[in-house]
Amino acid sequence: MTDHSAYWSTLDHELARFPAAPEVNLTPLRRTEYATVYEVKLTSIGPYRLFGFLSVPTGDGPFPGLYLTPRYGSVNNVPHPDDRRRYVVFQLMHRGQRLADQPFAAPYPGLLTLGIDDPAQYIYRSIVADCLRGAEFLLSRPEVDAARVGIRGDDLVLLVMARRAGFAAADIGAMLFYRLMEARARTDAYPTEEINDYLRAYPEHEAAVGATLAHFDPQAHAPGIVARVLLQTGDPGDPGGPEWLAPLRDALGGEVEEYRLTHEGGTDHDWLDAWLAGQLGATPHPRIWRIER
Amino acid sequence: MPAARKPADQYGTSAVRPADFDLFWDDLLAEAASIPLNPTLTHIPMRSTAEVDVYEIGYDSLDGLRIAGWYCVPKESYLPPPYPALLIVPGYISEPTLPKSWAKLGYAAVGVAPRGKLRSNARFNPGYPGLLVNNIIDRHTYSYRGFYIDAARAVDFVLTRPEIDHSRIGVHGSSQGGALTITTAALRSDVITCGAPGAPYLCGFMDAASLTDSYPYEEMNEYLRLHPEREAAMRATLDYFDGINFAPRIKCPILVYVGEADDVCPPETGYAFYNALTGPKTIHAYPRCAHDSGAYWEMANVQAFLAEHLRPARPQERAQTTVG
Repeated sequence: MTDHSAYWSTLDHELARFPAAPEVNLTPLRRTEYATVYEVKLTSIGPYRLFGFLSVPTGDGPFPGLYLTPRYGSVNNVPHPDDRRRYVVFQLMHRGQRLADQPFAAPYPGLLTLGIDDPAQYIYRSIVADCLRGAEFLLSRPEVDAARVGIRGDDLVLLVMARRAGFAAADIGAMLFYRLMEARARTDAYPTEEINDYLRAYPEHEAAVGATLAHFDPQAHAPGIVARVLLQTGDPGDPGGPEWLAPLRDALGGEVEEYRLTHEGGTDHDWLDAWLAGQLGATPHPRIWRIER
Repeated sequence: MPAARKPADQYGTSAVRPADFDLFWDDLLAEAASIPLNPTLTHIPMRSTAEVDVYEIGYDSLDGLRIAGWYCVPKESYLPPPYPALLIVPGYISEPTLPKSWAKLGYAAVGVAPRGKLRSNARFNPGYPGLLVNNIIDRHTYSYRGFYIDAARAVDFVLTRPEIDHSRIGVHGSSQGGALTITTAALRSDVITCGAPGAPYLCGFMDAASLTDSYPYEEMNEYLRLHPEREAAMRATLDYFDGINFAPRIKCPILVYVGEADDVCPPETGYAFYNALTGPKTIHAYPRCAHDSGAYWEMANVQAFLAEHLRPARPQERAQTTVG
């Protein structure tokens, strides 16, 4: 077993020691005629109690499922009504994010480098465990059609898919860990700039930081992913462009599609929504409206 | 969400400006002015670069709350003072980022964290979701009462800094940052030089909630589904906080930009704000753009607009795209 696979199998074993112990509580405030929303609490490694929003469409299921992995930031929105109408949606808040910030409140900026010198102590080791726990929860729900479960988010999606089977399709947007030690030389935008800040302060830690981040680079996880993956690509020549993403595309074990972002948010949303709906047998919900003149 | 709508610029608004709107805010400004600012700066070497020094700042605001922020200022070895100031105000779910890229252009840039944001939430924390509807039927305790003042108080922080040219102070942000751009330009019209709000939120609240089911406005719809009898009280409160009603107080040039397919902050409400402005104004609208409000193209215009009025030393550099 390689160091990389030992690192992640140890995490799986550690997570398996803690029952999820889910609490699923109805939220009357967010109930509509088309869906019912629940507030969910789950246990992850630590042990640490996580939070999530679960929404179940009204009617006879099972329904397609959609797992929304947490963004980089303190807040994740309640799942959008468009998704709640079609899917059993689960939005996880990982440890430190709002609603899961007791006893640990994540710092922004700062979360990306918390414990980064040591792979065993790096905060994202625990956050990946949180995301795995969230995936297990959604995949276990009786309302979900197990053959039609999608997943959407940043490259944490790929780490989850590599370790938990059951997802039919993935829509991947911005990357957090992909080629991060290279990306940091090409931008001063946060959160990548957190790595630059840290290594300006501790230049002697560069090798250790690189070694930790290597465990999280989705390229290292890609060969084990056989589900269909959609990669959103930016402009040629930019980090996020097609050339930048080519090594990841080539490493993925299943079918890969690319969507070149137009930067028109409405156009991009409607295309991506239709793609995922098509993969999961749902109806597209475009948001661009017609103008009556 | 309706499948078809009239052109956004023809929609208008149902917001009504209360007769005592200015009195309400002038009283609050006077109350805030009576509170000593007690500004603090703590240098953060780890976040500083060869060109920019980064500080964590703090100041006191309404209700005795301590407000945090980031202050990014060019090093004198990189660019000599005085600098124009630029307030970068945050979106609803985003935390204030460090405006280092603006400081590289030559601005003394402040990233404001009003109450409830991380580092300003020890004693006020309605959460997300929650902030938008916290005490929404009482204007005297509604969450945005203090939130707006906290952003305006950042101007007082700027005025304490000797390295800043106090005749050049701009404000910019998108989404809730667009709303705070509007309210800060209105509440501190005595010193704000220009403002660039993108995808302005908190304009035409009741209209917006009827036009979309996207969050955060969906928080209002949820509240009214549970408490329909409170609609009139909600409307009465929100008229005191509506960006459209702040528009007549703004004297400086304003650049507004909107996405014509914005499901989060409907473009109708951005136009209603723009139409209510009485001073120099420009609007750029982007078809098929949503809450991004065309920022991919518009950021160059925003930078040029701010540079025209604030004259930073290195306007040719590129700032990070502002997100809400």
